[in-house]
Amino acid sequence: MAGTIRPRDANELRRAVEWALNEGTTLDVRGQGSKIALGKPMDCGQVLDLSGISGIVDYAPEELVVTLRAGTPISEVEALLAQRNQMLAFEPPDLGPLLGLQAGQGTLVGAMMGNLAGPRRLSAGAARDHLLGFSGINGRGEAFKSGGRVMKNVTGYDLSKLLAGSWGTLAVLDQVSVKVLPVPDQTRTLLLLGLDDATAVRAMCAALGSPHEVSGAVHLPGRTALRIEGVAPSVEARLTALRELLADAGAGMEELGTLGSRTFWREVRDVAALKAASDTVVWKISCPPTEGPAIVARIRSQRPSVEAFYDWSGGLVWLALPQCVDADHELVRGAIGAKGGHATLIRAPEAVRAAVPVFQPQPAALAALASRVKESFDPKRLFNPGRMG
Amino acid sequence: MQTNFTLAQLADPETARSNDILRKCVHCGFCTATCPTFVLLGDERDSPRGRIYLIKAMIEGDRAPSASEVRHVDRCLSCLSCMTTCPSGVNYMHLVDHGRHHIEETFSRTLPDRFLRGVLAYLMPRPAAFRWAMVLGRLAKPFAPLLPATSSDPGGATFLRRMRAMLEAVPDRVPTPSPVDRPQVFPAIGLQRKRVALMPGCGQQVLAPEVNEATVRLLTRLDIEVVNVAGSGCCGSSVLHVGRNDQAIELAKRNIEAWLREIDGAGLDAIVINASGCGTTVKDYGHMLADDPAWHEKAKQVAALAKDVTEIVAEVGLSNVTPQPLTVAYHSACSMQHGQKLDVLPKKLLREAGFVVKDVPEGHLCCGWAGTYQVLQPELSRRLRDRKVSNIESVRPDVIAAGNFGCIGNIASGTGIPMAHTVELLDWATGGPQPAALM
Amino acid sequence: MSKACRCLPETVPQVSAILRYCQDNKVKVVPRGAGTSLSGGSMPVGDAILLGLGKFNRVLEIDYANRSARVQPGVTNLGITKAVEHEGFYYAPDPSSQIACSIGGNVAENSGGVHCLKYGLTTNNLLGIEMVLMTGEVVRLGGKHLDSEGYDLLGVMTGSEGLLGVVTEVTVRLLRKPTTARAVLLGFPTEAAAADCVAAVIAAGIIPAGMEMMDKEAVKCAEAYVGAGYPLDAEGLLIVELDGPPVEVDHLVERVAEIARGRGATTVRVSNDEQERVLFWAGRKAAFPAVGQITPDYMCLDGSVPRGRLVEVLAEMREMSKQHRLRVVNVFHAGDGNLHPLILFDANDPDELHRAEEFGADILRLCVRVGGVLTGEHGVGIEKRDLMGVQFTEIDLDQQMRLKCAFDPDHLLNPGKVFPQLRRCAELGRVVIHHNKMPFPDIPRF
Ligand SMILES: Cc1cc2nc3c(=O)[nH]c(=O)nc-3n(C[C@H](O)[C@H](O)[C@H](O)COP(=O)(O)OP(=O)(O)OC[C@H]3O[C@@H](n4cnc5c(N)ncnc54)[C@H](O)[C@@H]3O)c2cc1C
Ligand code: SF4
Ligand code: SF4
Repeated sequence: MAGTIRPRDANELRRAVEWALNEGTTLDVRGQGSKIALGKPMDCGQVLDLSGISGIVDYAPEELVVTLRAGTPISEVEALLAQRNQMLAFEPPDLGPLLGLQAGQGTLVGAMMGNLAGPRRLSAGAARDHLLGFSGINGRGEAFKSGGRVMKNVTGYDLSKLLAGSWGTLAVLDQVSVKVLPVPDQTRTLLLLGLDDATAVRAMCAALGSPHEVSGAVHLPGRTALRIEGVAPSVEARLTALRELLADAGAGMEELGTLGSRTFWREVRDVAALKAASDTVVWKISCPPTEGPAIVARIRSQRPSVEAFYDWSGGLVWLALPQCVDADHELVRGAIGAKGGHATLIRAPEAVRAAVPVFQPQPAALAALASRVKESFDPKRLFNPGRMG
Repeated sequence: MQTNFTLAQLADPETARSNDILRKCVHCGFCTATCPTFVLLGDERDSPRGRIYLIKAMIEGDRAPSASEVRHVDRCLSCLSCMTTCPSGVNYMHLVDHGRHHIEETFSRTLPDRFLRGVLAYLMPRPAAFRWAMVLGRLAKPFAPLLPATSSDPGGATFLRRMRAMLEAVPDRVPTPSPVDRPQVFPAIGLQRKRVALMPGCGQQVLAPEVNEATVRLLTRLDIEVVNVAGSGCCGSSVLHVGRNDQAIELAKRNIEAWLREIDGAGLDAIVINASGCGTTVKDYGHMLADDPAWHEKAKQVAALAKDVTEIVAEVGLSNVTPQPLTVAYHSACSMQHGQKLDVLPKKLLREAGFVVKDVPEGHLCCGWAGTYQVLQPELSRRLRDRKVSNIESVRPDVIAAGNFGCIGNIASGTGIPMAHTVELLDWATGGPQPAALM
Repeated sequence: MSKACRCLPETVPQVSAILRYCQDNKVKVVPRGAGTSLSGGSMPVGDAILLGLGKFNRVLEIDYANRSARVQPGVTNLGITKAVEHEGFYYAPDPSSQIACSIGGNVAENSGGVHCLKYGLTTNNLLGIEMVLMTGEVVRLGGKHLDSEGYDLLGVMTGSEGLLGVVTEVTVRLLRKPTTARAVLLGFPTEAAAADCVAAVIAAGIIPAGMEMMDKEAVKCAEAYVGAGYPLDAEGLLIVELDGPPVEVDHLVERVAEIARGRGATTVRVSNDEQERVLFWAGRKAAFPAVGQITPDYMCLDGSVPRGRLVEVLAEMREMSKQHRLRVVNVFHAGDGNLHPLILFDANDPDELHRAEEFGADILRLCVRVGGVLTGEHGVGIEKRDLMGVQFTEIDLDQQMRLKCAFDPDHLLNPGKVFPQLRRCAELGRVVIHHNKMPFPDIPRF
């Protein structure tokens, strides 16, 4: 069992990395460890625990920016923002229960490093779109920074984008500045009942192609939901317009109010629909929205028991498949087809994740480039080695 | 932008004016986007900003341009789309005229090129000679297919390719001269409201005499007395665009003299021009003669009276309209929309005359005619014409209207849809005969 | 402009062959879109090939159901909107240069516009690209789907100023045009009151589609140039645009007007129709050429600062203006703190040119000092290259250059831009290990 090192500030963090570099020890970088069951299993010399570098550094509501240390729990950030009626618009999901871990865990930086985002990805962007700047330590033990605290910034390369979604493999961050947004006055949800997958996706795409600013579009078996947010009169008008627009779909319609909507969309965000059947493997596929149903149909023809739902208007497909040694990775990735997309294995037993590519394998030229990029930050491959395999 | 002229250079008024123009340009590049040659070729030296740099370099350096620099300036259509786009008010028209003049003075063109330009510069302003050339050209036209249809130059700017283009441009039928094109007075039909001179033009009266006829009918019907003033003729634009400033100035002076005589005599409310290319030039006579103290004021006086025919019609208003249920695609000639900034007015009149008027997509792009351009740069010209035709055809019109005879001939050569001059349609809708092209 | 050799490829294999040739023969290359860069980013350099993308000007595919358009990089920003507007769609980022700038250039500069407060910059509206690496290899990043597999190289390519690869195809997200848009014109007796209003609008939870500010001098120039009906007595003018369904817009317009009145606005005018809205914007959009009418030359900077520091920055800029004996006019994206100071000078006067450059550098240093950055949307290019050290440490810059090495190990792409001082990749790649085997007893471990 590897030991754990728990620095308390940026300087200790830098020294810890320097030490690892000296020792030739690899580091398993963790915030609260809420996603240790996600990604390729690793065998590192040491756990680098960032939970000691925690706390809000600065929060300026009228600037729409919060600056915080790497170990700060999401829950703490959300509570703070709620006081000023603001939020993390990209809705970082709580995947704990899905992964068989505790609920309510996780640091904001951890969510950033996974570039995770909930249903509002459609209109507000992913984690990457909200990371304004950071400071951290690279694999040479050097403290560096990129970006800033302002909304518009094109000074130098946008390393924030690169770091978001790097699963801790490029650098260890000690501090980030994150964009926040006001909480909408009202949230309501239009439910369409009884649509099949293809019709539902068509309806969702039509809704998103309308001017009615839909901020969530999910299709669960039998229920298709569209979220409308904003000031009260606007929400009302847009809901009415959507009802008219979708009248042809031939579905029964229902509505959820603000409270009902909050619960509903939190469950969508946390993939609650698939968490119960813990004996399945869970995949997430990002694809062009209209392709979702065809991809699922291809998989279903081989594995009739597949459970699926469609977030992001069809562009994010969540799948639960019966467990098997290779998690059906060839079937799933083969189903994606020529229109583009990629699949990530989100939940599977450790042995399965060790055996199959968790992240989508890339074409040779791209993989080589990615590897050079990794090297440019972390030449000795200290941080989370192999996690993105 | 920064310029580097010496004081001695700035003593030359033409250079001083160009310096002022260049200083206004902030090299933002907005103009490139709407330049037809850049859209086709994608080379910045074939864009307005590129040409501005090239011209700046040659006049600043007081040197003969290289053949490649000349090639890029030669490809300019003088469509002036760049001037409509430029937010900073850069007068590209005057700068490129200076550039062409500089090229003409300092650069020695190849013998065939000189020959061809010489022929064009001789024929274009002389209707009688031009007519004979057309008649002779008809005899040679059957041999055009023997000449190469493509060339090594993207503009088609090689001698044989240009010869072919010249022959292809010869019409199959050269109309007989119209009696309206002789000096005379056409009295207003009702009580006279205005008295105007009609610019007789050069190429148009040979190739499309019906335009002047329709103009006289329309204006006199609107109670305007029309004079065809003895001594007036070609405006000079065709020679100006090949850099022959002196020849252009001579032509301008002839017109100014003739019209001034009339102004001082029976008086004129306007000088009416029904070819927008000529209109742009006459409206600019003040600039053309800016350095000639004896002529500058006179030129300005004449220029101030110059009006496109649609402007004068709008002033008096259409009356007694019998609407024709046709859809018209209005082709806004470059000299009309960019040169004279008349884009809305002609369409408004056509609508008032009862036509359904459609705008053409990419309406800001030139049709490729541009005077001698269709002969000197035949391939670019052809590509622009084809693009224009397909844009026009996309709105499915019954008829295409334009206010410049060159565009009409050029576009008509690429489509089966009939074409007419705006004036012919207005004439028809107010009691004139149906335009021949529509019969 | 004429010294450099130029290439105008038409196909991706041609681009690939050119880059491979350049890599093999160590020839430098400058990619160029429409050449509207304000930072000298696409300026040719003496010994490099200028790779023009002007021929890549076709719209390849429009997919309304998936709300995306696939175009070649030479298509203009406005060209995309033109291609889809008849179906009610548009491409949201709208740089003032949108009539001319290419989408490839937008990707390279991560361009924004007056509407990016609500709709984001290029990076937030980009779905995928195809690009050619210096080796000639062609790679695709993203596509019609969201988020990339592996590292977000698409994100890092956006705003990389042509230093990492040549973009040969771009897939962007399309949006449906909002049902209505109205603009509110607000005049304030002081700049501070205007800036205060900006903060108050955002604090009230309103994110307008655009929120622009002009100082008195800018208002005067714009008014003289286009006659938009701006109040000439205002020290600070705000244009706030709200879009969405009519009920929402009406509601928000009222709230914004109320906030403005509460902050002492002397003019509150709301556009009543599309024509009037366009007129309100006309002055703002023509502000640069308008300023060009009162000065032979101007230099435009684009540092970003935290919104809360706007007033202080403006005041200090006025002081500097006195010191440098040059006028400065301010037009800016107030909603996101992105300044656009225009320094007025005469480039034909060497002393003024020099003073203008000094003044510009001082303004940018000020931006960084108050917690902002050198450039919010125009890029570093050549213009701000030598100031990079003001914002970044040497280590920061080394890390960026190492990333560059991963793409272009011989520094052949767009040389001389962005980095003040180039270090060889071999040198940058060396790992220095500090051989102090201190076990760090003070750091907690388990
Ligand atoms: C009057 C004016 C107003 C402006 N307003 C704004 C504004 O409001 N917002 C804003 O953000 N910007 C603005 N700009 C700046 C400029 O228009 C943008 O930076 C634009 O994105 C540049 O596009 P371009 O096609 O002209 O690129 P270029 O100037 O040709 O090139 C810019 C950079 O991109 C690189 N590049 C170009 N094409 C490619 C490609 N295909 N592959 C790789 N690299 C490439 C070049 O090497 C260079 O580094 C303005 C400019 C002007 C002149
Ligand atoms: S006149 Fe026409 S062809 Fe010539 S540079 Fe201007 S836009 Fe281009
Ligand atoms: S648009 Fe005007 S100012 Fe801009 S480059 Fe062209 S001519 Fe110069």
